[in-house]
Amino acid sequence: MKNNLQWRLFIDRWATRLVSIGGVGVIASVALIFFYLLYEIVPLFRPADAHLLASYSEAAPAKSDTLYLAVEEQGEFGLRILSSGQLQFFSTADGAVIRTVQAPIPTGSTVASVAGADPDQTLLALALDRGGVLVLSYHFRVSFDGAVRSLTPVIKYPYGDLPIDLAAQGSVAQVAIQREDEETTILAATDQGELLRVRFVAEESFLGLEEETTPEPVVDYLGKVQGNVCRLLMDRVQRLVYLALCDGNVEFYALNDAGVQLLETRQVVAPNAQLTVMEFVSGTYSFLVGDSLGQVHQWFPTRDADNRLILQRVRGFKPLTGGAPIRQLVAEQRRKGFAALAEDGALGLYNTTAQRQVLEMQVDAGSKRLALAPRANFMLVDSDSEGQAYWRVENEHPEVSWSSLWDEVWYESYPEPDYVWQSSAATNDFEPKFSLTPLVFGTVKAAFYAMLFAAPLAIFGAVYTGYFMHPRMRGLVKPVIENMGALPTVIIGFLAGLWLAPVLEANLAGFFSLLVVAPLAVIVASFIYFRLPRSAKAAVPEGLEGLFLIPYLLLVGWICFSAGGLVESMLFGGDMRVWVTDELGLDFDQRNSLVVGIAMGVAVIPTIFSMAEDAIFSVPKHLTQGSLALGATSWQTLSRVVILTASPGIFSAVMIGLGRAVGETMIVLMATGNTPLMDLNIFSGMRTLSANIAVEMPESEVGSTHFRVLFLAAMVLFMLTFLFNTVAELVRQRLRERYSSL
Amino acid sequence: MNDSNLMTHAIDVDNIGRKPSSDVSATETCISVENFSLFYGDKQALFDINMALPRNQVTAFIGPSGCGKSTLLRCFNRMNDLIDSVRTEGTISIDGENIHQRGRNVTELRRRVGMVFQKPNPFPKSIYENVAYGLRLQGVNKRRVLDEAVERSLRQAALWDEVKDRLDDNAFGLSGGQQQRLVIARAVAVEPDVLLLDEPASALDPISTLKIEELIHELKERYTIVIVTHNMQQAARVSDHTAFLYIGELIEFGDTRQLFTVPQKKQTEDYITGRYG
Repeated sequence: MKNNLQWRLFIDRWATRLVSIGGVGVIASVALIFFYLLYEIVPLFRPADAHLLASYSEAAPAKSDTLYLAVEEQGEFGLRILSSGQLQFFSTADGAVIRTVQAPIPTGSTVASVAGADPDQTLLALALDRGGVLVLSYHFRVSFDGAVRSLTPVIKYPYGDLPIDLAAQGSVAQVAIQREDEETTILAATDQGELLRVRFVAEESFLGLEEETTPEPVVDYLGKVQGNVCRLLMDRVQRLVYLALCDGNVEFYALNDAGVQLLETRQVVAPNAQLTVMEFVSGTYSFLVGDSLGQVHQWFPTRDADNRLILQRVRGFKPLTGGAPIRQLVAEQRRKGFAALAEDGALGLYNTTAQRQVLEMQVDAGSKRLALAPRANFMLVDSDSEGQAYWRVENEHPEVSWSSLWDEVWYESYPEPDYVWQSSAATNDFEPKFSLTPLVFGTVKAAFYAMLFAAPLAIFGAVYTGYFMHPRMRGLVKPVIENMGALPTVIIGFLAGLWLAPVLEANLAGFFSLLVVAPLAVIVASFIYFRLPRSAKAAVPEGLEGLFLIPYLLLVGWICFSAGGLVESMLFGGDMRVWVTDELGLDFDQRNSLVVGIAMGVAVIPTIFSMAEDAIFSVPKHLTQGSLALGATSWQTLSRVVILTASPGIFSAVMIGLGRAVGETMIVLMATGNTPLMDLNIFSGMRTLSANIAVEMPESEVGSTHFRVLFLAAMVLFMLTFLFNTVAELVRQRLRERYSSL
Repeated sequence: MNDSNLMTHAIDVDNIGRKPSSDVSATETCISVENFSLFYGDKQALFDINMALPRNQVTAFIGPSGCGKSTLLRCFNRMNDLIDSVRTEGTISIDGENIHQRGRNVTELRRRVGMVFQKPNPFPKSIYENVAYGLRLQGVNKRRVLDEAVERSLRQAALWDEVKDRLDDNAFGLSGGQQQRLVIARAVAVEPDVLLLDEPASALDPISTLKIEELIHELKERYTIVIVTHNMQQAARVSDHTAFLYIGELIEFGDTRQLFTVPQKKQTEDYITGRYG
């Protein structure tokens, strides 16, 4: 006896422990997921950081006549071009010059300015004050001496090692160069305001071999500009030209074979400011303007109401503290980012899409020139007084800001600000669009249509099953519907995408008429059943009358779908799909919200049905009897007592169904077009957070911004379901407090 | 009447039939049961019951568990209709109308024959809405009418003074005894003719039980009351007439005082002296 008692206590103690461990384990694993998501997300929001690697004023004093400064890919070497035409390659670690090359410019001539071609800026045009342009390119040859890798700078003159003679009146002040495929264009503006164009078209050899012969330049005189040319920019495809005058006006030209055509002249700085710098953002689609008030603005061409190209100011950036004039803007080569250097030495790193200042720092006040490495991970600052400073920049995720994630953003080449998710593209100068808004919208939209379909069906079904249905029938119906929940969602999605979507598309009118006809048909059927003679009713197994509805409804469905064509020709001019597109003006996708609503509804119905049915069925019998005993009809008892008492359960059933619909992946992945649209139209598709993660996670680079933004999307999803479930639980507790009868 | 006999029956004689009442046959009949039998499927639960319950008096049904007293009670407002397999024979008439007549409106019958269950079953609503429930069912929604009915019913159920300041509170905040009186108030709010009480005090503490019993005593002025009880003292205290049922048969029906003091049947005597049940 005593042993038995001890044994029971032992079992009890261990059972308690195991249950506690299980419960704590569940909470811990949810917390772990949360913290892992957080761990992947947090780097997105860290500010950028820069720390000084080296500074060397002694070894290689900065030359005041430096015109151009660059850092190569690995950040090991820098390039400085002096006005004398000297190219100095130096080590970024200590400033030691490793190679000096004198560009072949005529004696007595000096370089007035240097321009690079997008995207990597290794094709350079040197504007000469004696009226010529010299084109050169450089790269670093990698060689291995044993295990030691070494880089050797190599200089090439693709268009000859003699300056191209422009036969211009004055000296060349500004130059622009771009190369796309085999076409190279150089624009030059002289100090007299003359605008000249040089074109090279490489002749393709039949064998496709690289031509070693130097192509002949074609020089065009384009016209004369009134005013002082401050900066000259030409886009990579050599079609658009932006010519900045020092008074703050930008002349915007279209370039074609015949010449140039002025599209617009536009004041791009405030009236009391002077334009100090103008620079392309990588991709040469938009440009940045810095002024004497320290403001930086981004502009790009858009089309106005008359479909003419005009310049559009897209956004401004947070000014640097001090508000000193902007001395230099340097674009990152592979992202839509840039660095701004002000005359007082304030330096800021920005991202255009995110409209975000990721870093503000102070460098020497005498700093004149700035260069960013191609990967934007190193920064070289040239100062007159302090020599050079070489910085390491940690700026992994500048593209993410509150506005780039949630607000409308005016992306390059978009006609207006929009919410767009487009994380990757074929080109390198692509602007990633990480707006989570269309994804959240798509998630909510999918869940909304699913609930629109599922909630009424499931709740009405549950009410009928739990309150009216004969126990025999209930014993059949409930397990069958609950087994529906075990159907793998991939099968539902597969059927929805490959079978239901085309069927619905072909039978739209049939489907919508079924929505109206089916309930009417059921009412008619029950009316007929009531009117049947007693003997006929006796033939039906007791409680299983409802089973007759199954073939009946199938027949009604078949009739509706068959008559769909007739309905279409009578009401919708023959084709409802065309009618939707033309008359309603709605886009029609085959895999649309309707399909998703039905498919996801099918997935969600068992959850809602089962919980709601339990809630209704477990309303204490003494309450229903109490109501009936007061002379209430069944319907009054149902609507005034049963639903009220079961409301906590029904509510949480719906909320848990909603939580499931929000998190559902496979169905939306397979049955929607995965198009991240912001459109409530029932005939268009959507992309949900979960499907987006499933689609893009496999192809995103680990640790990249895209990768982390996907984790952020997962976090948003987690929070959404967490929110739904918490609200559901809170409301349920409140309702239970009010309506519990136990 | 025999004192020594009373002692052995252990009945509180002083409380038996506090209010003198006339003979069953002498008063006006409210509910009359004639040759009534009831079957659960193939199993017969009530056998050929015949009785006449007098108006504005309290009739108690006693008998051991499973004897059919609750089943009989539930026949008076056709609550047994909710059970599919139930089949009845014979007639039950209330005020001369056969309640099983074809086309008879069950909800109207139930409005006229109120019922209170063993376990207090207030609805998950406010006290006010609980009492007003039956009236609202009939489409009464005028605030003034409802206010009056609620107050009147709560007063009749001797609950008004306890709840008048918190009519909008949830009924679940009341104690078990208060809940049961609320349920009685809810039943009388629709002004029924008959009140069926199915062991109304069995889930309550002694003080609450006492209050319910006092209430029954007052309510019989207005209503014909039928009470099912396990507690013979209770039957003796509150009822004017008592029916003893045993295994579906009405063994004895008569004046309470007489039934408890000089039972006519051996089975009745055995039961009230505690030999079985």
